Amino acid sequence: MAQATLTPAQHRRRRLPDLVFQMGLPLALLLVVLFFAWSSPAFLVPSNLESVLVNNFTLLAIVSIAMTLAVASGGIDLSVGTALDFASLLFVSLIAAGQPFGIALLAGLLGGLGAGLFNAFLIVGLGITPFLATLGTLFIGRSVQQLTTGGGIPIYLSKAKVPEAATFLAHGDILGIATPLWVVTILIVLFTVLLRATPFGRRVTAIGVQPAVAWYSGLPVRRDLVLVYLLSALVVAVAGLMLSATVNAYVPSSGNAFLLNAIGATFIGTTLDRRGRPNVPGTVLGVLLLAVVANGLLLIGWNFYWQQVGTGVLIFLVLVASFASRRWRKAG
Amino acid sequence: MPSTDQSASPPALAMHGLIKDFGGVRALDGAEFEARSGEIHGLVGQNGAGKSTLIKVLAGIYRPDEGRIAIDGQPVSDLTPHKVDRLGIQFIHQDRLLVPSFTVGEAVFLGRERTAAGLLARRRMEREARALIAEQFGVELPKGALISELTTAQQQLVQIVRALAQKPRILVFDEPTAALVKREVDRLFAIIERLRGQGITIVYISHYLQEIERLCDRVTVLRNGRHVGTVSPAATPAREIARMMVARDIGELFPKRQVTPGAPALAVRKLARRPHLQEVSFTLRRGEILGVTGLLGSGVKELVRLLFGLDKPDAGQVEIGGQAATLGSPAAAVARGIALVPEDRRGQGVALDASVRDNTTLASLARFARGGLVRRSEEDGETRRLIEELRIRTPGPDTAVRDLSGGNQQKVVIAKWLARRSEVYLLDEPTVGVDIAAKVEIYRLIGELVEQGAAVLLVSSDLDELAGIADRILVLYRGTVVRELPAKDASSDALLAWSTGAMEAA
Amino acid sequence: MSMVVEQAGGERADLRRLGTLALRAGSLLAFVAVLVFFSATAPFFLSFFNFTNVIAQSAILAILAFGMTVVIIGGGGNVVTGGIDLSVAANLGLCAAVYASLIQAGQGDAVAILATLLTGLTVGATNAFAVVAVGILPLLATLAVMNVAAGLELVLTENTVLSASTPFLMAINNIGPLGVPNLAWILLVVAVALILLVQFTPMGLRLQAVGEHREAARAAGLPVARYVAATYLVSGLFAALGAILSVAYLSGSSTGSAELLLGVVVTALLGVVFSRRLVPTVGGTLLAALFIGFLGNGFQLLNISSYWVSGVQGALILLVVAATSVLRRKES
Repeated sequence: MAQATLTPAQHRRRRLPDLVFQMGLPLALLLVVLFFAWSSPAFLVPSNLESVLVNNFTLLAIVSIAMTLAVASGGIDLSVGTALDFASLLFVSLIAAGQPFGIALLAGLLGGLGAGLFNAFLIVGLGITPFLATLGTLFIGRSVQQLTTGGGIPIYLSKAKVPEAATFLAHGDILGIATPLWVVTILIVLFTVLLRATPFGRRVTAIGVQPAVAWYSGLPVRRDLVLVYLLSALVVAVAGLMLSATVNAYVPSSGNAFLLNAIGATFIGTTLDRRGRPNVPGTVLGVLLLAVVANGLLLIGWNFYWQQVGTGVLIFLVLVASFASRRWRKAG
Repeated sequence: MPSTDQSASPPALAMHGLIKDFGGVRALDGAEFEARSGEIHGLVGQNGAGKSTLIKVLAGIYRPDEGRIAIDGQPVSDLTPHKVDRLGIQFIHQDRLLVPSFTVGEAVFLGRERTAAGLLARRRMEREARALIAEQFGVELPKGALISELTTAQQQLVQIVRALAQKPRILVFDEPTAALVKREVDRLFAIIERLRGQGITIVYISHYLQEIERLCDRVTVLRNGRHVGTVSPAATPAREIARMMVARDIGELFPKRQVTPGAPALAVRKLARRPHLQEVSFTLRRGEILGVTGLLGSGVKELVRLLFGLDKPDAGQVEIGGQAATLGSPAAAVARGIALVPEDRRGQGVALDASVRDNTTLASLARFARGGLVRRSEEDGETRRLIEELRIRTPGPDTAVRDLSGGNQQKVVIAKWLARRSEVYLLDEPTVGVDIAAKVEIYRLIGELVEQGAAVLLVSSDLDELAGIADRILVLYRGTVVRELPAKDASSDALLAWSTGAMEAA
Repeated sequence: MSMVVEQAGGERADLRRLGTLALRAGSLLAFVAVLVFFSATAPFFLSFFNFTNVIAQSAILAILAFGMTVVIIGGGGNVVTGGIDLSVAANLGLCAAVYASLIQAGQGDAVAILATLLTGLTVGATNAFAVVAVGILPLLATLAVMNVAAGLELVLTENTVLSASTPFLMAINNIGPLGVPNLAWILLVVAVALILLVQFTPMGLRLQAVGEHREAARAAGLPVARYVAATYLVSGLFAALGAILSVAYLSGSSTGSAELLLGVVVTALLGVVFSRRLVPTVGGTLLAALFIGFLGNGFQLLNISSYWVSGVQGALILLVVAATSVLRRKES
């Protein structure tokens, strides 16, 4: 009485919804691009596309990569903004105090890492669920910033103090391509490979899929989770440094602005994977979708407020479509 | 066919010609079941015989493809859980479906709350529930206790009372003793007999024939979804009922193999984790299958957890391959060549939503990495090799494990450890929930493991299984080894007697 | 041997009960200690005026947190897969904008109230549809809806404060019977009604069962999906109610209502420690909201920097969660 394996017909039946599910995001992106190209002559020109990538895409993409890592491990990181702010705070303060760029850079990365270390302690050490642990970090981080800046007063760098390297990081270019794009591209490639093809990435995915199985297979679950939150914070710290270099300032609690879109992009990105798992390419497409829509709506004359509504409705529809097809697939 | 009822009154419950297919697999193939009013009627069969499908049809959870059901001679159709409830049929499920944070009163009356002026009459519910429990079982539960604060046995009482509060005509017990210790089992049996005295018809599902013998007036045997026979346990020896369940010689079920045990692979010296594991010592050799059995609370589960690094011992030493080993975590145990095939296969053994390949290579990813990257082609090669070697029935390495049958899922767990080249295998109830054909396959696999020089610690509560394939059997009782038997001398009766402590008392 | 098992089981239950008691008593004690400390050090703190005023000021946060609490009760405590409504704060912002803009357009209070309630319910219904009918994770579904609601609010207000003042609104904001602000009375009435409904009716008991053990609820024949959907409608309704109070309190709409979200989440989760069974309850949420209100007020009176407030909240939530997770671990 062995249970039957699936017949070829059943397999075919499964594949169709699978495909709808997986192609939803690229298709939505394509449609959106075509729509804006058709409705606004200013959209499909190189300068605008570069602006989309540099201004709307880069920072959110970096933060979202970090979020993807945390979500892939079965958790979430609500404190991405905190790590970003800490990095920015230390970087800008040290530059303002006349320290060399290298030291400030290192300190910024360490600052972000501090937030990650705290998360790792709460999640792995104390066994607090990631959602609540990182929520706590977010709150505490807000206080720390208010206390160190006299209640949230930004630190501005005068033109004279901004090191050349920082200007290069934010506004420079290599081979005619903007530096931020190089940074984000390297991170995308690095983390795509890390999550997909290294033993570490595969273990993290296994932990996210079914933690008990990972534990019962002898995987170093605790060590891997510590690494996940450290890496997540480190990546976000890079975004913090780039933000500081772009605006030549530290603005308290500015990192939280990325939080919700990063979560949205990560989960929209899960639709790209056949099994609905978080993955870096999907996340990047998700961020791209958000960036293109924000830019395109602006070009066709929607004001900032309608843009918000438009983006929100779009995310909602993508989610409805993908989850509905997931249900259809399960039933089929 | 069930024996025809002598009395004129129709049977309390009659199910005839039930057929139920699940995507090409016939779970019920014309099954028959008839229970007389006011009897305790056992239902037995191997895993996969159709017991649980039959019960889910009765509960209105599955709709049969064909067949008739009658309650007190009245045909009923299109059963839903709600309709079944109104017909006066209640179920005591194996997994206790109670809300942990509820009080006893709330749990008993959920869905049929007692109210005063529209508000919950909590005191009244509590009082009535406690009165019912006291009246039925003569037991006082701790005052104001929440469900989560009760013992397993107490929770079961709550569930029985919840069923009784509906004044049922038919009460179905699904493996109710699985989580109980002996004294609690005795108490439960007394309760069930009292319920029979109140005229309630009891359907009792179990795979313990001893329980059936003690408790049931009649027993129906299912095999491969078909009715094999309905007999009186008083007049039929347990051995005969077992033969009806299996329908073939036990010898055939357990493939023969010849292996001479080699060097010690795992030696355990005075290992303890109190209170459950007092002190256990044994040596397991390469090429040997060492069976371990014991009831819940005997320390068997604790022993497995210690050997896989899931818990830390209070005292004692473990040697692997002649060297002292500290098993501080599963990772450390795996690094020393220990493999665990856990009892909770779907929760701990395989990642259901991952592919056969991802599951197979999970514990040995580093093996497939070149320059820090895992090579997909090498993973696929190894997975295909193991699929073939273990005869895993799957469309390919990319199929999700969820889509495989229980037996094939279990083979994936073993494949994971073979890929890791583990040497000491802890098998915890490896054939629970797999059908009989897959069981034989798994026994054959275990045989091949030891032929290749692995050492196997087989933990099982299936005593025939132990007697069939183990070389030696350790019986644990109250946290110590009370008996070591060579398999050729081990009958299930003797094993049962030792594991219940009956031999010690004698 | 059965003796051994039972004793161990009994001891464990006792230990857990003791732990729960200590946590609950500890939290209540902390609450009282904070009150005593502030009354001793800040003489004005215990004045009738200050006391009732803090309660009134806590009304909006508490009412939003009530909605969140109902969603968590019905959806289960796992914050990622269980029930959560991230759209409550944005929903309040949108509702307040609807109210204020209708008043500005010359409509009366009756029309404005009706439209506001309808708006809140529509947002709630959208959440219910996405979560129950489509099966989107509540965290994601309500996140997307939150973005849409926040966008619509911006469209209505263009990110300005729409002032609104009517006799009805002023009456809400007035001192009521016994010299207690009407806002405090409203909070009291709403809290009592909701506590009765959730904690003392069969419907409430069934809701708890649905949230805590869905299979048990199903086995008891309860219409699980309907209960879950209803919680999001309730949450939408409470957002609308909170919006009316907010418009009255601030004499118009406000631009920062989305900021309330994390405070609402923290309040609802903090409330868990005030319940005997360590589950979310309406009464616990009320106490948590007042606790947070008094804490902020005391800091203010003592001239302690308000920058500490968010950090203290974060530390509190971590403390609570760590304590409950230790207790839960002991239980299993």
